Amino acid sequence: MADRNFEARLESAFAETPAYADADLFVLRVNDALERNWLMRRILIGALGVAGGLIGGAQLLRSGLIDRLGAVGGAWRLVNNELTSLPTDRVLSGLFGAGPSTGAEILWMSGAMAILALGLFVTRAMREF
Amino acid sequence: MAQLAARASAHDMDLVAQSVGGNRDAFGELVRRHGSGVRALLRRMGADAATADDLAQDAFLAAFEQVAEFRGEGTFAGWVKRIAARLYIRRWRREARMPLGPEAPDEDMGVGRGESGANARIDLDEALKGLSPVERLCVSLCYGAGLSHAEAAAALNAPLGTVKSHVKRGLDKLKGALVAEPSLSTQERAYNG
Repeated sequence: MADRNFEARLESAFAETPAYADADLFVLRVNDALERNWLMRRILIGALGVAGGLIGGAQLLRSGLIDRLGAVGGAWRLVNNELTSLPTDRVLSGLFGAGPSTGAEILWMSGAMAILALGLFVTRAMREF
Repeated sequence: MAQLAARASAHDMDLVAQSVGGNRDAFGELVRRHGSGVRALLRRMGADAATADDLAQDAFLAAFEQVAEFRGEGTFAGWVKRIAARLYIRRWRREARMPLGPEAPDEDMGVGRGESGANARIDLDEALKGLSPVERLCVSLCYGAGLSHAEAAAALNAPLGTVKSHVKRGLDKLKGALVAEPSLSTQERAYNG
């Protein structure tokens, strides 16, 4: 019993906080370190973002995306011209009657993944900033 | 100004909730409230003043990083103290200052001799100086950082029995030093860093 009393008193003594003369200085020091860490993190994220953007941009250019987009644009114009010359009932039955084509599936999947990626990015950005 | 006053009177958990959202001012208030307690614990564990301050700072930075993980089990101060204690143990083990095996009893380590008068006022910090480094560490971990013997043993990577015997020996020495002080209170004196 005496031991438990002593241990309780010892815990109370440990819980007592001495009054340090430089307590305010310590708070400032920690705040400065927090600020510095925060700044470094923002710089790092920014630098990684720029690097990622540059790498991604370079990859897109190297993959010939612009040429492909031009080709797709030309193809789209061609298809559009063909479609406008077709009767509406044939167009609708072509779209819904035969089911989605593999190309349409890929398009929908890509759209969904892009939305998902955007959601993840926004969530992460909100946490960081 | 009103914001400062509101922050000063806010509960720790409210400040923690604000800190989770990245509010560094709210976290600064937590540092102001508990900084000295964490520094004191590290010094009582055996760190010198400069090391204690460095580790206390690291502990608060780590706490800010992990503040979302603090669920309010126990106090915020206790949580940061545990982080600080583990940081100190890591450094202590890295520097391999002292083996954690059983130590031969050192009669010269006894404290309080010649000061056992009824009015002798020996504060905890002075009394802890009379313990061996390992005893001091174990006692501070269990009674200052709030670790159980098993947790302390795990943190120190030492057998439970060894930690228990260090704590027991440390407590016996502290009793000898502090039994004359009924309130077991630390002296109210300003520390100069």
